[in-house]
Amino acid sequence: MVDFANLYTYIPVVLVILAPIIGGIMMGIDRKLTARMQSRMGPPIVQPFYDAIKLWGKEPFIASQLQPILAFGYFGFSIAAFTLLAFGQDMLLMIFTMAIADLCLIFAAFNSKSPYSNIGARRELIAMMSYEPVMLLAAISVFFVTGSFMVGSIYEISQPLLTILPLTFLALIPVLIIDMKKSPFDVSGSGHAHQELVRGIYTEFSGYTLALVELGHWTKITLLLAFASLFWSQNLIVGVVLAFALFFVVLVIDNSYPRLDWKTMIKTTWTVGFLLIIANIVGLIARVVILS
Amino acid sequence: MYGDTLIALTVGFPSLAGILCYALNNRVARRLIVALTAVVLIGSSILLYQGGGFEYEPAPVFDYVVLILDLALLVYFLYAGLKYSNWLVIGLAALQLFPVAYFEFGLGGMSVEPMIVVNELSIMMSLIISIVGSLIVVYALSYMDEHEHHLHIEKSKQPRFFFFMLLLLGAMHGLVFSNSLYWVYFFWEVTTLCSYELIRHDNTEIAVKNSLTALWMNLLGGVGFVAAIYIGFLFVGTISLEELTKRSAAPISLLLFATLAFAAFTKSAQFPFNKWLQGAMVAPTPVSALLHSSTMVNAGIFLILRFAPAFRGTPLSYGAALVGAFTFMITAVLAINERVSKGILAYSTIGNLGLMILCAGINTPLSYAAALTLLVFHSVSKGLLFLCAGVIENRVHTRFVEEWEGLLAKLPRTTIVMIVGMLSMFLPPFGMLLGKWMAIDAISAAPTMGLLIMLMLVLIGSAATTLYYAKWLGHMLVLPQSGKKLGNEELPLPYSISLFSLLSLSVVLGVAASSVLGAVVLPTLPMGYISYISPNLFTIETSYGSFLLYPFWVGVVAIFFVGVLIALRKGGIVKAPYVSGENIVDSPDAFMTTADTQVPMQVSGLFMDNEFSASRVLNYGVVAGVLVVMIMFLTVVL
Repeated sequence: MVDFANLYTYIPVVLVILAPIIGGIMMGIDRKLTARMQSRMGPPIVQPFYDAIKLWGKEPFIASQLQPILAFGYFGFSIAAFTLLAFGQDMLLMIFTMAIADLCLIFAAFNSKSPYSNIGARRELIAMMSYEPVMLLAAISVFFVTGSFMVGSIYEISQPLLTILPLTFLALIPVLIIDMKKSPFDVSGSGHAHQELVRGIYTEFSGYTLALVELGHWTKITLLLAFASLFWSQNLIVGVVLAFALFFVVLVIDNSYPRLDWKTMIKTTWTVGFLLIIANIVGLIARVVILS
Repeated sequence: MYGDTLIALTVGFPSLAGILCYALNNRVARRLIVALTAVVLIGSSILLYQGGGFEYEPAPVFDYVVLILDLALLVYFLYAGLKYSNWLVIGLAALQLFPVAYFEFGLGGMSVEPMIVVNELSIMMSLIISIVGSLIVVYALSYMDEHEHHLHIEKSKQPRFFFFMLLLLGAMHGLVFSNSLYWVYFFWEVTTLCSYELIRHDNTEIAVKNSLTALWMNLLGGVGFVAAIYIGFLFVGTISLEELTKRSAAPISLLLFATLAFAAFTKSAQFPFNKWLQGAMVAPTPVSALLHSSTMVNAGIFLILRFAPAFRGTPLSYGAALVGAFTFMITAVLAINERVSKGILAYSTIGNLGLMILCAGINTPLSYAAALTLLVFHSVSKGLLFLCAGVIENRVHTRFVEEWEGLLAKLPRTTIVMIVGMLSMFLPPFGMLLGKWMAIDAISAAPTMGLLIMLMLVLIGSAATTLYYAKWLGHMLVLPQSGKKLGNEELPLPYSISLFSLLSLSVVLGVAASSVLGAVVLPTLPMGYISYISPNLFTIETSYGSFLLYPFWVGVVAIFFVGVLIALRKGGIVKAPYVSGENIVDSPDAFMTTADTQVPMQVSGLFMDNEFSASRVLNYGVVAGVLVVMIMFLTVVL
């Protein structure tokens, strides 16, 4: 007989294992949807996996001895951050762990003397500076609702977070754009090469190191989408739909805007992100004051 | 137990050792004296820790000794002001000399009982001063030899240098143990003297100029102190620290605390008094290390933490918090445009002190614990960083971080130590980030509407902190394929002792952070600060979240080893970077231009000069700082 209570505790473990795979599928969906928006057929949805497997088997070229270790660090710490989320742990710690993952990628890019990857690394640092405080403030706004920084506490409230913190949810859009490296904020290196800086932060990765970076990228996207799905924690299906809606909005924006410079990125993310979340928090407080 | 002996050993011994260093101009003797002082200090502070708090009444003759030395000190400051015809120094010294003389002779002075109170906070301070401070003085033994060799100084000025370094350690101990506001003030002024003398040690034009800035700013704090003594004497009726903290927060004692907080801001270099600590970096590196990490600037934090329970929940508390939050944000932004290694570290120091003051000002059990955690871990990490920066600077002969590119190849050992130090400043699961995590928890749960402003300041500040540390670290990590080791990286014994002790200290304390919390931080929380922090084997839990300490460390080690394993298994040939195919075969770090000339690959550092000019931000910051401090005073008066 299957012990369902016991089975339930394995769900986080299964989720952690599935995280990169879900991210890979999302990337495949991204390519398909983007292609449709540009009136192309697009590759099959599992194309990212074919790419990664092929990359893994390629002849290994590295930029320095340290590069593969740091490339794995990007993947490893992304998984670690997702593990924290899946086990209902502290949101702040999860965001800090995401930052370590990002820094591994940045240091790996710094590690070679390549001008393109060096510029990409500098820009990625600015990208981090743009979205990290917004992400932290989003977590804090959740704290104002649940009274705890634990992800697990979100499951204990009866009302969906989206109905309490709709503006915080909107503030996740620029965060997701930056993290998915989508236009208009793909200054540090995007999915496809640009004349300006080739592939930016990814330039010096090839073969298995690039595969590791891709895996890390997928995991991070799953992490962010999972965080978005928490805004309807009462019903998993609604949560997933919500996350997918966010994802779709990002793709639409990606296909309608050209790349903007880092100054616009930081200004937009900070003003839009901070204003939305602060407005939401002030609204919450005002409601409490009026009701009492 | 042996309370009196331990007080004598921590306050008296370093001062006497300093005098001995001054009298004996002998390299070997100096080394022995410093080594002995280090052993004595570390030993007695550990004994103090084991013995716990106590009270002690020194012989009455010390009252006269302190009085005479204090007056002599103030006359000396007056003389220094006259010598360089610096009217600010003259005025501020006179503003202390005459009131103090009148207080002692006209009003008959005021004694408190007991004169010495050793509590958990002073023991914690003593541990920091003794361990980190001593290691820095040991380091200075090698550094000053290199420094004088580098400057071609014929007649060594080291006796003078070590006199003030050791005196500073003694004075700091005196400061944290005294219970009389007047005695605290005296030792406060001795630290001012030491910083002034040490900053102008090299006697260059800029050194003298900056030392005078440090002097007048610190004297301004001293004036605040004198005002506090007068308010205590005339209106509150006591100048005993213990008594003052027990009194209920009447408006007049709030004014007293406000003047003390003002003094603390000057010593901890909060905006608008940041300039002196920035200027202090002209001094030899051990001086910056000592001032920034374990002594001097911590005196201000100590003062605020000591009095925080007395003004808990008052507007003054939140006013002080606002000063700290503002300083944290603006220094982090300014550090982005700073080119000089020690300058970045100085901004980082001021910012972290601001964060501690912010936490002390929020004044909840959790935030108080956060301030203590930050204090401990900051001292160790910042000491380590300054020491590494000094060694590197003496080897590569440049203090500009942009020119530190590829250091990992040139000086692998020292660079790795420095990298660990930097990581311990801004990445989890090291202690500083644990402190910051507790701080964000505590601010979010603060019982004031002002928390939104403080949160914004802290979030922007931490984002900028990550940026400036990470870009510096990135620079050092660049591994050009032509990179070679810079000769023989032999470190003299004092260097190795201090660097590796501090390195192991920061790693061990980082790994065992929950033990540090349990053994040092939580017992130091004042009465009535009931904490909900439970550091256990698995995690550090607060009422708002949990910091998975040990699982995190296991994860970090596991990720590192799997990464190494993959790197070893897959290996790979190191290839020259991509430059659109214009590589040059025998020089992998250059490329061929369209004009067929060889140009080395180069990317300059990430600075935002076009977006904001540091000097303008600095000026606005000082103005804003003055405003914030004024608001703090206004909230008390109104």
